[in-house]
Amino acid sequence: MLLKEMIIDLCGLPAPSGFEEKVFDRVKELLSPFVDEITTDAMGNLIALKKCGKPNAKKLMFDAHMDEIGMIVTGIEKGFLRFSNIGGIDPRMLPAREIKVLTDPPILGVIDTLPPHALSDEDMDKSIDAKKLFIDVGLSEDEAKKRVPLGTPAVFTGGAEELTDNVVCGKSLDDRSCVAIIIKVMEYLSAKDLNVDVYCLISTQEELGTRGAITGTYGINPDYAIALDVTFASTPDSKKSETLEMRKGAAIGIGPNMNRSIANALISTAEEKEIPYQLEVMGGSSGTDGWVIQVCREGVITGVVSLPIKYMHSPVETMDICDAEAIVRLLTEFTVKLDKDFIS
Amino acid sequence: MLDTLKTLCYLSGASGYEDEVRDYILERVMPYSDGIITDAMGNLIVTKKGKKQSDNKILICAHMDEVGIIITGIDDDGYLRFDFLGGIDRRVIIGKHIYIGKDRIHGVIGIKAYHHVSKEEEKSVPKREDMYIDIGAKSKDEAKELVSLGDAGVFEDSVLEFGNGFLKAKAIDDRVGCAAMIKLIESELPCDCTFAFTVQEEIGTRGARIVSSRLNPDTAIVLEGTTAADLPDVPEGKRICNLGDGLVIPFMDKGTVYSRELYKTLTELADKNGIKWQTKTMIAGGTDASVIQRGGTGADTIAIAAPVRNIHSPASIAKISDFEAMPHLAMLLLEELSEK
Repeated sequence: MLLKEMIIDLCGLPAPSGFEEKVFDRVKELLSPFVDEITTDAMGNLIALKKCGKPNAKKLMFDAHMDEIGMIVTGIEKGFLRFSNIGGIDPRMLPAREIKVLTDPPILGVIDTLPPHALSDEDMDKSIDAKKLFIDVGLSEDEAKKRVPLGTPAVFTGGAEELTDNVVCGKSLDDRSCVAIIIKVMEYLSAKDLNVDVYCLISTQEELGTRGAITGTYGINPDYAIALDVTFASTPDSKKSETLEMRKGAAIGIGPNMNRSIANALISTAEEKEIPYQLEVMGGSSGTDGWVIQVCREGVITGVVSLPIKYMHSPVETMDICDAEAIVRLLTEFTVKLDKDFIS
Repeated sequence: MLDTLKTLCYLSGASGYEDEVRDYILERVMPYSDGIITDAMGNLIVTKKGKKQSDNKILICAHMDEVGIIITGIDDDGYLRFDFLGGIDRRVIIGKHIYIGKDRIHGVIGIKAYHHVSKEEEKSVPKREDMYIDIGAKSKDEAKELVSLGDAGVFEDSVLEFGNGFLKAKAIDDRVGCAAMIKLIESELPCDCTFAFTVQEEIGTRGARIVSSRLNPDTAIVLEGTTAADLPDVPEGKRICNLGDGLVIPFMDKGTVYSRELYKTLTELADKNGIKWQTKTMIAGGTDASVIQRGGTGADTIAIAAPVRNIHSPASIAKISDFEAMPHLAMLLLEELSEK
């Protein structure tokens, strides 16, 4: 399967933090031809291992999270659903938003908005507090209570699709794009002679504070880790100082959250193989699973590689496949070169 | 009628760009009409003979156009700038899909990552002039190959039934009226009638004005979609009307004090025939009725509307049982009028 197809495939599945089963199952299916074993743990992480077959091999771990932002039903009033957010959602994109309510089978909901007729001009300039919004499922109070138990999660409707050639737009590119990148890297590595055992941690609950990666990394106990996540690409309404550029390649993280040795090895790989890359300098947390991976157990030599996307945490996140392809090549080449001497 | 409405909602017809909708309606009504005119602004005027001639010149009217956007600029890096066609609450368009022009070029209205939004910023809505559409173009040149200034765009086009008999689509306002008129034109009528599928209602009832001048009707019936604010937090007095409570027969809105006599006749007909109806409990909104009532020497005017939630948004909602009664109720009124 092409990388682009795989990204679109994975984005079509719902997996709000804590409810990731559908993506877990699909990733397991896609990854299994290229690894030796796939297991899970109490947090629901997917852990895959490809052994290199050499004695006392070091462990390299790739990480990307399978969960996405979403909503959870907290109450029912006159048949309309009250909800809370799962992860960071800008309330300004919720009015008149279509929602997939994850009952079995899922049902359509629409976040209703008050018409301007009932509002003052001043109100129209103000965003609506998410606490005042409801999901309309077109059901009476009794039917809604029967069909939508409290605690039912929900996600934005739709998946991802191509806008123009290789520009993909949709929900949950954060972080399914990087999950697909890892699967693709494992496909390429399956035919290579390696000096390290390669683990994949497809983690849960990142959007609620990198929770899955805490236990996933502990269980794997890796020597090296690379966390893959999305980062901010520039848009007309964002500051240049806070963003990177789309189509400028893999973003290699620099800063205290990223061990310099692994960052240097990634940069030298990109230089040598002429893979497009850009540097993303971060003073504190990288805002990725890398933050907890680095301080797991007695510490893990950690790198962060990011894919620039626009409109993060919206239903219209937008990326260019060329950046994802650069990351696939970078990680593949890096892993092939990885032995005791490469990172020092 | 439901299937017709679904098809109509899918079509693009922002104000001033109603061609696709008109072409479809034209094809549908052609076999049943006794005369068709497309006038200077693009209104589609259909006459149909009934069982008897009547001195009472009757006009039935619904608008084809929907709210949308018009492309006003292309940035150097390929983003599109736009203005609104009709009254759009800019709070409902953030992060939404837009389809532009005849080729339905797909774009999205972007917004920067939530991580970069301050608590203060979160409370306000971006101004229309600061918003932009991303069609995935890498440059101005690439964007210009796909889109031209003056192209119109419409919202997300999926049409879905959900819940207990509800329909979700864009443009239910006023394709619901168009669908009801198609149904009437396909039926045998009690008297001669003229039907006007109007343009540019959403930017100020522009099309209906010249239809009225041309026809100078005695009696006019406007078929519409109307705003419902029937959400749990809204006090009774501000709900306007409720989905599920039947068709809306208004006595007054911001543009029109409807004919008291027709209001009485229509509500009595509804009661007598067991058709659920309600009236607007708040003086809000306006329709083509305003210009038809005061066009030429004036007309006795009434409206029948379907209640619609999120009305000018990509995800408007109507209850199927409410609007399905619309052609029936209109027909009952025509029968009554033909007796006079």
